[in-house]
Amino acid sequence: MQIKRVLSLLLLAGALVPSALAQIQRVEMRVEGMT
Amino acid sequence: VQQHLQRLDGVAKAEVSLRDGKVVVTPKEDGKIDPQKVMQATYDSGVSVATMEITAAGTLEESGDKLLFRINPKLEFQAAANEQATKLKSQGSLGKKISLRGRLFQKAEKSPKQKTAPKLSTIEIVEIVGGP
Repeated sequence: MQIKRVLSLLLLAGALVPSALAQIQRVEMRVEGMT
Repeated sequence: VQQHLQRLDGVAKAEVSLRDGKVVVTPKEDGKIDPQKVMQATYDSGVSVATMEITAAGTLEESGDKLLFRINPKLEFQAAANEQATKLKSQGSLGKKISLRGRLFQKAEKSPKQKTAPKLSTIEIVEIVGGP
């Protein structure tokens, strides 16, 4: 039971790591001259 | 514009709205994208940029009398000394991971259309998205 819990916590941590390390989440621009 | 941006390294998605001249670039999961390259690719596609903003995570660091926002060891911008920067400094957020929305470029009013991509070196913190 405890092993199951540890494994699910590890999976959860793995899923969270990429978003926590994301450096730039979004770039937004207003541009001119687009037709 | 969309094709030029989607060819860039690190870009997951580029959305272009013709109606309001808005371009939103979403990086891949690691967020490793170079705003200068995004700017260059936009100019290469034949349009000029009026404003550029990023939402990013990084650390605010003091370097002499300057304040730097470091996104990774190779990417940093000098943070303009505005109200938000002062607030972060007084909160003791220096050296801690923060998330913010910041303006990297704003074309001066009434200035003629620029033909080459401007060099990005400073960030004006617009909004603090997440703190330490």
